[in-house]
Amino acid sequence: MSAAAAALARPKRRVVVVRMADSAEAIAVVSIAFALALIVFPLSLPRLIVNSWQHGHLTPSMIVLVFLLDMFLYLRVAYILSAKPGVGAAICLGSLPILTLTGLAILLERAVRYTISMDLPKLEARLNEEILAHTYLGLISGIFVPFLLIRLLQQFRANPGRSRH
Amino acid sequence: MTNWYLIRWLVWMAVFLGPVLFLPWVISRAWMHQHGALIQAGPRSFFAHGELGLLSVILASSVIWNLFQSEFTPHTTSLGAIVLALAGIMALCVWVECYCRQIGQERCDPERVWRDSRSLSICVFSVATVVQILLDRLQRVVTS
Repeated sequence: MSAAAAALARPKRRVVVVRMADSAEAIAVVSIAFALALIVFPLSLPRLIVNSWQHGHLTPSMIVLVFLLDMFLYLRVAYILSAKPGVGAAICLGSLPILTLTGLAILLERAVRYTISMDLPKLEARLNEEILAHTYLGLISGIFVPFLLIRLLQQFRANPGRSRH
Repeated sequence: MTNWYLIRWLVWMAVFLGPVLFLPWVISRAWMHQHGALIQAGPRSFFAHGELGLLSVILASSVIWNLFQSEFTPHTTSLGAIVLALAGIMALCVWVECYCRQIGQERCDPERVWRDSRSLSICVFSVATVVQILLDRLQRVVTS
């Protein structure tokens, strides 16, 4: 390669390597925000979530929220490392929040059916608590699962000399 | 009764934070006073090799135990247990990886180990706190 061609050649940027600590910070922020919201609005927040679930808006809105959060997190890591976003990671981040939260929505339906079938006292209040817990755990899983899978795939493919440990 | 359930998770937080952060600091101060040594001892010097990961697993295990004792459905209990266990294992991996790198004479960046273990431990602690709040709320609903 000539000197001019070498000068014109773009510097090859490495692909973003994520670490679980990157998503852990986001999970901690979401958890603290959820805890504060639950302490400040102990009645209105659960009511809002339960109403949203009854109207079928909860899962789509959670998918959008988690998808945006995951994308922001991944692009932030790419910006900090000055690295190129990878195609595999983009596919994971695009599909896994939808798959995870849809799966958890089905799990919540089953949990609600199970609670109703048990015929326990204070059924409505128990159902509200179940929906609240599932909403929180769904948010966390939507952030955690895609980054865990990306990390595992990267670890599996990594060359020890190039890994970001 | 209602007020106790409102602050119970705060007491739980203090019970976990006290022995982990406050107690080692007090003991180290006592030791320095006794031996006349002047050493700056903080959380970072105590947990420089990712030991917070081990504490995170212990914390996650205790909350998983509380989840299994609760009246949540098996679906919710399992989901919460899996999330907490995975987060705890990730935190533990930082400590184990640092140990393995040191044993294997490989490069181990102490700055990165501290940052990763701190982030993952804060993650486990915050998830555990929210789960504890949710458990207290359910307990209040059941017993009221």
